[in-house]
Amino acid sequence: MTSPLHPPVSTGPPGRRAAALAVVVLLTGGCTVANSGAAADAGTVQIVLPEEPPTLEPCDASLTATGRVVRSNITEPLAERVPETGELEPKLATGWKRTSPTTWRFTLRKGVTFHDGTAFTAKDAAFSIDRTLDSGIECNVDGYVFGDSRITASAVDATTVEVTSKEPDPILPLRLSFVEMVPTSTDADSRVREPVGTGPYRIEKWNQGINLRLAQYGSYWGKAPDYKTALYTWRAEGSVRAAMVSSGEADVAVGLAPADGAGDHAVEYPNNETSYLRMDADKPPLDDIRVRKAINYAIDKKGLVASVFAGLGKPAGQLVPDGVTGYNPDIKSWPHDMKRAKSLIAAARADGVPVDTKITIIGRNGIYPKAAETMEVVQNELREAGLDVKVKMLDVNAWTEYLLRPFPKDAGPTLLQAQHGNQAGDAAFTMEQIYGSKGAQSSYGTPGLDRRIQRAEHAAGRERQARFAEALAYQSKKVVRDAVLAHMKSIIALAPDVSYKPDSASGDEMHLAEIHPAG
Amino acid sequence: MLTYLRRRILSSAIPLLVVVLGVFFLARLTGDPANLYLPLSATQKMREAFSAQHGFDDPLLVQFGDYLAQLAHLDFGESLRTAQPAAEAVLRAFPATLQLAGVTLLLAVAGAVVVGSLAAYRPNSPADRIASFLSSTAASTPDFWFAIMGVLVFAVTLDWLPTSGTVGSAAWVLPVATLLIRPFGVLVQVVRGAMVTALSEPYIKVARSKGAGERRVIFKHALRNAGAPTLTVAGDLAVGLINGAVVVETIFGWPGIGKLMIDSILQRDFAVLQAAVLLTALTIFALNLLIDVCYVLLDPRVRQGAMA
Repeated sequence: MTSPLHPPVSTGPPGRRAAALAVVVLLTGGCTVANSGAAADAGTVQIVLPEEPPTLEPCDASLTATGRVVRSNITEPLAERVPETGELEPKLATGWKRTSPTTWRFTLRKGVTFHDGTAFTAKDAAFSIDRTLDSGIECNVDGYVFGDSRITASAVDATTVEVTSKEPDPILPLRLSFVEMVPTSTDADSRVREPVGTGPYRIEKWNQGINLRLAQYGSYWGKAPDYKTALYTWRAEGSVRAAMVSSGEADVAVGLAPADGAGDHAVEYPNNETSYLRMDADKPPLDDIRVRKAINYAIDKKGLVASVFAGLGKPAGQLVPDGVTGYNPDIKSWPHDMKRAKSLIAAARADGVPVDTKITIIGRNGIYPKAAETMEVVQNELREAGLDVKVKMLDVNAWTEYLLRPFPKDAGPTLLQAQHGNQAGDAAFTMEQIYGSKGAQSSYGTPGLDRRIQRAEHAAGRERQARFAEALAYQSKKVVRDAVLAHMKSIIALAPDVSYKPDSASGDEMHLAEIHPAG
Repeated sequence: MLTYLRRRILSSAIPLLVVVLGVFFLARLTGDPANLYLPLSATQKMREAFSAQHGFDDPLLVQFGDYLAQLAHLDFGESLRTAQPAAEAVLRAFPATLQLAGVTLLLAVAGAVVVGSLAAYRPNSPADRIASFLSSTAASTPDFWFAIMGVLVFAVTLDWLPTSGTVGSAAWVLPVATLLIRPFGVLVQVVRGAMVTALSEPYIKVARSKGAGERRVIFKHALRNAGAPTLTVAGDLAVGLINGAVVVETIFGWPGIGKLMIDSILQRDFAVLQAAVLLTALTIFALNLLIDVCYVLLDPRVRQGAMA
């Protein structure tokens, strides 16, 4: 045993050289991370996103994180919806017409080339449509826009493509506005991460995990955008995104909340999302329409918007906002009337409705800013009205178990905190799945509402608008399946040296060509 | 020594296996990834096709068997989110975390040895009290708050440093400082305590009576004996740094393994999660082994036990 009185001496090589080498490797290795990005110059617009795009695959462009980088920047569709008017405008197609109930013919723009220099033809258009819908690569756009619709596309000549649907589809061009065009050289059997497109920007360099740089495409068919390059970075923390604009490190920061502190740089815009509570209208006591009406009267939407949402919203009475085909301007937000709510609950109780049954609010953390606080406010209001309510906040995956069929068994009556965004601009993308008796997100429907939805889906033009508006009114007055809270708004931060006007589509796509130097 | 190492490696294999099993089965208890990866409007047929394509419709034991078979070929599967090999994502992120953790630990240990030794040299002196107060404050500072305040003060207000990111050496300052502050505070206290004890030992008096200089007494005799507890705590902190730089990586946009693990948990990206946990567990296992070896080299009593 070594005596503690004699300090131990080193028994082997001290390893100092090895340690020094390790330090050097560590620090020089550090430089590899530190220098793996590049600073931006004056001709670059810098955008900070909440997350890195998982992929730039164009057939996944309906994913927000992918779409806001890809759509109309790297790749383009045949036609594009104008958020303000809801109309489709030509993009890579100059026109389209319905030649039979199931067939549409698109005339393609001439002189368009892909970033690899090849010309854009009808064969590319037909290939892109087939690849998105029928290639078996699980395109997000397929599930988002087409569902069970079966579509075939074929090139008639170099600049004409014909698209046929199995069933008559009056909004086929709108659906096709989600299909981004890629050349026939694109892999049809697997997804690509860095696509070749026809857009005003091509991918210059993607430093995965760090940043993504797009450079202007010199042979773009349209007007050249103002910025030569665009540099995307991503920060999960909203306050850091806002700080990047304040400190001049970014020109645009998206997806901010009021608490992120964007200050004078903040610009609010309606984001197409509508918050609501979905009721289990087939389970007591929610199967009594008086209870469902009472819930609507009990919730103070104006108060919620003013306080919890910090003004970022507008009290709403229907799931689709203005600008979407089917929006009904006559449906107003339910007024806050606690007295009436209490009397409706009392009347239901008197008729034997078990209003004391525990109702669970299934909330989702982060579905919008202050999601948990919103549900706590609702819980208090419903308790005041005479209902027994508890709140259960879940993460997104656990929450989707309640959102989508088949719903969890033995969950009891629930109110589901939800938010719906109609990105496509037509109520067909809302009604069937959310209010149809068999809709994937529908907890309850009625034959009367189903009939109205189906009639609307087969109509076109003004008739379509009127029929969807009628279906929404029927839901609001006769079915009362939901308590709609508000049409929501988002915040974007803009540096003083850039000019950009966000619209209802800006949450899902951000056209770089619409960003200009200020002044 | 080799016997000792072999024993340690074998005893660490069991926890490693438990980690692999736990991550695999617990992750799959948290719901069907098809709901997250497909649009809400996707049809039931699409959901079933997705589950079948990725093997999620197989019984759990079959899935586990497939996973082990893949592991045997060093195939960690493919990310559901990016469709890239999971190992590629993990190996891209891991060096970033290692570099950050390594630099932080190096600075924390070096700083703590100097400050802790100085504080211990004259216990209860003003310098000792200041060091104790500052180290206690540092050890109890919430890293999230410190990071955000650092961004607001040094990036937004003073414009001295970038808010975040990895571009340029200045980008290291705030992440390292945030990650450093708590380990530094803890280590100063540990070094100080161990040094106070060591400096009061009889062999220090003997060394002084033999005419050894104060620098030699502190750094050669006392510090070496105070090294063992410091090493133990530094090892624990290193494990925490490798495993838990999530806050720093999230706030500063540092592309490391902590953020990757959290994202893969939230997005039910099983292959990436499993690969990340496995690599992290192996690293922590190697780190613990290294600490054990250092312990053996530092403390003759442990060395004798190990050799026995």
